Amino acid sequence: MEAQIDKLDLENVMACPECDLLLQQVDVIRGQKALCPRCGHMLYSGKKDSLDKTLALSISGLILYLPANFLPLMTLDTLGLEKSGSIYDGVISLYQHRYFFVAIMVALTSLIFPLAKLSLLFLVSLALKLKVYPRFLSLCLRYYHHLDEWGMLEVYMVGILVTIIKMYHMAHIQYDAGFFCFMGLLWVALGSSVVLDEHLFWRLIEHKKS
Amino acid sequence: MSDFLTAREAGLALCHDCHKLIPWQHEQGGTICPRCGADVHMRKPHSISRTWALVITAVILLVPANVLPIMEVDSMGSAAYSTILDGIIYFFEEGSYAIGIVILTASVLVPCFKIIGIVLILLSVHFRWKSWLRHKTLLFRVIGFVGRWSMLDIFVIALLQVLVNFGYLTSIESAPAATYFTGVVLTTMFAAITFDPRLLWDA
Repeated sequence: MEAQIDKLDLENVMACPECDLLLQQVDVIRGQKALCPRCGHMLYSGKKDSLDKTLALSISGLILYLPANFLPLMTLDTLGLEKSGSIYDGVISLYQHRYFFVAIMVALTSLIFPLAKLSLLFLVSLALKLKVYPRFLSLCLRYYHHLDEWGMLEVYMVGILVTIIKMYHMAHIQYDAGFFCFMGLLWVALGSSVVLDEHLFWRLIEHKKS
Repeated sequence: MSDFLTAREAGLALCHDCHKLIPWQHEQGGTICPRCGADVHMRKPHSISRTWALVITAVILLVPANVLPIMEVDSMGSAAYSTILDGIIYFFEEGSYAIGIVILTASVLVPCFKIIGIVLILLSVHFRWKSWLRHKTLLFRVIGFVGRWSMLDIFVIALLQVLVNFGYLTSIESAPAATYFTGVVLTTMFAAITFDPRLLWDA
């Protein structure tokens, strides 16, 4: 066993995070995926211009963030009575009804974590683009890695659809600016996590360190 | 199994955060990844006991989440309470089957699937069942992917509470089960995070 390890060049070797199989790194081109031969885990996929695309999408996301979350999504109209609301209003309303735990979870998953993810991606990709390497860079990328599944914009989008279908028969629904900004934010945020090449980002950070 | 060489057998530990391979000495404590600064462990620490604790908590929370009402509909001074299941039945009676199935999946099937799946995987590690390893890893992957979708019902209630608020005429408010249900989502998501799927393959 020990003799085998000496022969391995640690730069080109990786391990599957799901089954621990030791693997030789191979180059993949755009559209290709590297799968673990033992457990089938998707190890990485080929991505082109990841740094530029991530930077562009995170900037667009940050621009859309405020209108998407604070402008009203839609207005309900029943018997001449009108009521509109934004994502932020939903959190405040839960808080006012004393559902503190639910309010905090909704605030984190729909407001705070999506903002944190976009900001961290913006910071990291901007720093790597400008070739400046502040010490907190690896911390930012680590936090992003941990927050990844806790931003739930796409779940909220389906929640909006369910709400529309639920209210469709009872009230006239008018879509407001927040709704369209939210759609934009959702696509940009999803896109940013698709184009992000974490392997590449880590390699860029590492090469600076050494 | 002997055809394959794992990182552990080669004396290498994988960083949880940046996936760098780090040479590992036996009985080593407090190693820090040279690339990203995260604590390095051969396997996630106390993975089995933490995951059991979170799954058991989720099972306990699942009872009030389904028995208690999750939503209160006030109309002309009379209040009607509905549980998660009432809401689903309402959609099926209305004829909105597609949306009924979406809510049924997100609020009932996904939490149950996650809990049963994680228990199955934990038992499999405990009794060292070596069959169906690839399928169990796939099961774990699906559990990790679907977990967040259970928040759907909570988001719908948050929106309805704001939008359907016409005073005496009609209004919708959240009810106690919302807290327990959010707890179920939180604990099952953490259970998927604390479990280390490599333990399945170590057996």
